[in-house]
Amino acid sequence: MASARPAKPDVMTFGDHEVITPDTSKLRKTLRAAQAGEPDPVAAAEEALAQISGDFNNWMQDELGRLDAARHRVRQAGLSKETRQELFLAAHDVKGDCGTLGYPEAAPAADSLCRLLEHTPDLRRIPLPIVDQHVDAVRAIVREHDRPDIGSIAAALTSKLRSVTDEFLMQENQDRPDVLKQIQSPSLAPGASF
Amino acid sequence: MVRIDFNRLRFLVIDDNAHMRRIMRTLLHGFGARDVYEAEDGAAGLDAFTHHVPDIVLTDWAMPIFDGLELTQMIRQPNANSNPFVPIIMVTGHTEKERVTAARDAGVTEFLAKPISAKALYQRIVNVVANPRPFIKTKTYFGPCRRRSNSTTYSGPERRKGGKADVIRQPALLDKAKMLG
Repeated sequence: MASARPAKPDVMTFGDHEVITPDTSKLRKTLRAAQAGEPDPVAAAEEALAQISGDFNNWMQDELGRLDAARHRVRQAGLSKETRQELFLAAHDVKGDCGTLGYPEAAPAADSLCRLLEHTPDLRRIPLPIVDQHVDAVRAIVREHDRPDIGSIAAALTSKLRSVTDEFLMQENQDRPDVLKQIQSPSLAPGASF
Repeated sequence: MVRIDFNRLRFLVIDDNAHMRRIMRTLLHGFGARDVYEAEDGAAGLDAFTHHVPDIVLTDWAMPIFDGLELTQMIRQPNANSNPFVPIIMVTGHTEKERVTAARDAGVTEFLAKPISAKALYQRIVNVVANPRPFIKTKTYFGPCRRRSNSTTYSGPERRKGGKADVIRQPALLDKAKMLG
């Protein structure tokens, strides 16, 4: 069943633009004051997430399986547009999801692999051992996650990978100042918005 | 402090990763939402958008077939679909500044960098509900107003022509929403 169509928006026309005020009455009608003793919705959502967290380890293993399979296809078929995309999506999912699944230490290594795949102009020039090292690092960090020193181990491993990757990317993009600027710009903090 | 009646809102979650869809659905149900639809790529997402007419769209960026950015551009076509003004929250592992700018310029309403948390997701939803921005239509852009504040110290060129409409006041509800943080 579809929602009722919203009312026609108000439009103010100016020299080179229009300012349009859409009908947001349906959204606004959902706002109300909190009632005394009402449960916190964020706490309720966190509790709901905690109830399914027992599956997170298996989900992380699924993500690693995808990453490993994509790596093997690269090894078999070489880096093409298709195999690059498959590997990139797998690494990107690990980067984005591992923190929620309880393995935040794996994100920087996955991020480094994403950068390598995204910013190398000629895929054929990517040394496959660097790809392997990234995938193996992500897998090792997840596998050894229960170690008390996993934070420092992951940081050391990732730092080396990132250093090698950035050096390669700087070399490969030396004639592309826009890409160089992008490579050197800092990432947003997790959970950041505009 | 304000609350949202989530059970009166319809959500569409678009993500190629089934685990992430499950997490998003769990969080939304935890907030109190009942109507949560899912799609696994941009094409299926556009189809679901047309069919279910959601009140809020949450989309990943990196997806096969067409991605979240392309999906946003397809939704933000004035007169081309049932609700080109729908709030779009992009939930993505892309964290580079250029990506954020590209998402904004495609017409995304809010941007949330993964990993997500219940609190961060809730805040984005409160923001699109309590603080709806007007839309701007130019030759090259159609989407939520990209000016989030009225700076009194801005000294650069005025890029919009037309006088009074250059000042767009934010609704007072924003202040209420901020209290939730």
